[in-house]
Amino acid sequence: MDVSGILAEHAAKQKAVTVEKDIPLEVDTGLLTVTDLNPVDTESYNEDLEGYLKATARDGVQALVSALFSLPTTSSADGPLAQLPPPSTQLPRAKPLPKPKPPTKWEQFAKAKGIQNKRKEKKVWDEEKQEWVDRWGWKGANKNEEKQWLTEVPANADADFDPSKAARDARKTKIAKNEKQHQQNLARTQGPSAAAAPPANNADRKKQIDRTLATTRTSTASMGKFDKTLEGEKKPRGVKRKFDPAEVSASAEKSHNLAILQKLDREPASKKAGGDNVLNVRKAIRSISKGKGSAALAREGGGGKAKKGRR
Amino acid sequence: MLRTIKPKNARSKRALQAREPKEVEDPRTAIFVKGTHTGEKVNAVIKEMMALKRPNAISFSKKNTVRPFEDASSLEFWAQKNDASLFVIGQSTKKRPDGLVFVRMYDNRVLDMCEVGVEKWVSMIEYKTQKSTPGHKPLMHFASELFDTHPRFIQLKSLLMDFFNGEVIDSICLAGLEHVISVSLGPTPASLSAASASTPAAEPSSTADLPPVHVRVYGVKLLASGTRVPRVELTEMGPSMDLVLRRHADPDPELLKQALRRPKLKKQDVEKGLGRKRKNMEVDEMGDLRGRIHVARQDLSRLQTRKMKGLKAGREMFDDDGDGVSGSGSGSEGEEEDAQLRKRRKTS
Repeated sequence: MDVSGILAEHAAKQKAVTVEKDIPLEVDTGLLTVTDLNPVDTESYNEDLEGYLKATARDGVQALVSALFSLPTTSSADGPLAQLPPPSTQLPRAKPLPKPKPPTKWEQFAKAKGIQNKRKEKKVWDEEKQEWVDRWGWKGANKNEEKQWLTEVPANADADFDPSKAARDARKTKIAKNEKQHQQNLARTQGPSAAAAPPANNADRKKQIDRTLATTRTSTASMGKFDKTLEGEKKPRGVKRKFDPAEVSASAEKSHNLAILQKLDREPASKKAGGDNVLNVRKAIRSISKGKGSAALAREGGGGKAKKGRR
Repeated sequence: MLRTIKPKNARSKRALQAREPKEVEDPRTAIFVKGTHTGEKVNAVIKEMMALKRPNAISFSKKNTVRPFEDASSLEFWAQKNDASLFVIGQSTKKRPDGLVFVRMYDNRVLDMCEVGVEKWVSMIEYKTQKSTPGHKPLMHFASELFDTHPRFIQLKSLLMDFFNGEVIDSICLAGLEHVISVSLGPTPASLSAASASTPAAEPSSTADLPPVHVRVYGVKLLASGTRVPRVELTEMGPSMDLVLRRHADPDPELLKQALRRPKLKKQDVEKGLGRKRKNMEVDEMGDLRGRIHVARQDLSRLQTRKMKGLKAGREMFDDDGDGVSGSGSGSEGEEEDAQLRKRRKTS
């Protein structure tokens, strides 16, 4: 069997779609661009400009199309889709890279503890309606308890106990708590200095310092009357001690004295924190163990010793 | 500087979110501005370039006193207001007739600029052919060795690529390849080819000896060739213009460095083999990640077998032997035994 004819025919077909150049063309399929680095042929350029430009463009586009058609494809309704590789030419961005979202307090804690985030489905199955309903929001499942026509009331409930109001209050408190935590997270990401940042210009800063100084000078019981003054320091103006009125009603006097007695009766705050010293032990453990707790800290410290003993 | 807007409802919040920086960017929007005076030619050029750039094009139809090389503040304002990052400013003066300035922005600041003059202009209407569909991505073709060596032409290429084709996409419909924008240069003058060989930094001030730039737009026809790859035939679609390079502004190196920053590759991309190569890992055709593990030779000397009383190493015996040997050992044999003993002690 003679196949030379078929081979020649195939070669001729291939020739029509291949491009031969001294310097091979640079094809960037990611950006659908081809660059022809061959020097311009001055003779044909001068002779027939449009024809020459069209011929070089055809060669370049042929090379680009060959590269595009040899890419892996997926089919779609409008024809084959070529999967493009990422571009090889670097073009500058129009906007800076997006900044990563700062972690919330919970995310930080979960990372320290190694807690995997479980994602809740947005929809839950409603047995009565026999369909999927939203967990929250409009007609959300979290409002079922408020809307049901019959509710179990605890035995020790007050006479005016309203179960639907109680459920609604519980839900609203949760929302308020979440919003508060969200605000705290925002404040934390903006940095502790956002609220108490020093003012930008010098005049403002001076004014702020003066105000702080004035506050400290009147912060003693005698309103700074017996404080040492520096040379050139001005006497604060408009500072007057205020006294309670000498005559008050009996009930006011009684409540005032009772408040003092109650204060004396109470356990001091420092003792409650754990011991008479200034160290807050619970807080210290939390900070050293990075939120893992005292048990983990003990395990870590004790584990090392135990190993040493065994060796 | 515009004041920062706090969204008051969900719709404006979504609109602001759409403007925030993204990892994979949207196509750049171009604003076409007319300067204090634009001739008929420049108006036509702007109109037809807009036709090619549509739908990501905004036209400023009124005249504006704008001098981008002297004061770029109004450009920055417009860029922020319209969320656009490209400008084409048409301006015709006695000194620089029929000029176009391409301006590219980064983060609402001017990155680089390039001014060209339109020498020859043929409108799209002159060619009685079918035009491309608006919104279809063009192919780009650049022809000259200067696009790889000369800084001015490298910038021009980058600008034009960003202008017409900057959007990064992951797939394209092969039937939708309709037109090609071809940018060719005239013959390279001897001064440039010699200069590029001897001194890589060519003189920036001399624009007279730079070759002209021919921009042509062709319609692409894909003909059956009998093989998988079709044969390409081009028909001139227009517009076609010949440009000369004039003034330019190079990007600020610090700003350019920021603009060229790439996002970190995703885990999935790294596994696919993009970016840094991961050794001994591959994804098979089922999409499963397969790894090959190389296990080092096992150290059997440290193997812990079953503990029994009878197998316990007699401590006293070793101690006695060790003393005796080390006391008498002087030759090579003694040293060897010594080493063995030390080894045994270590293991026990």
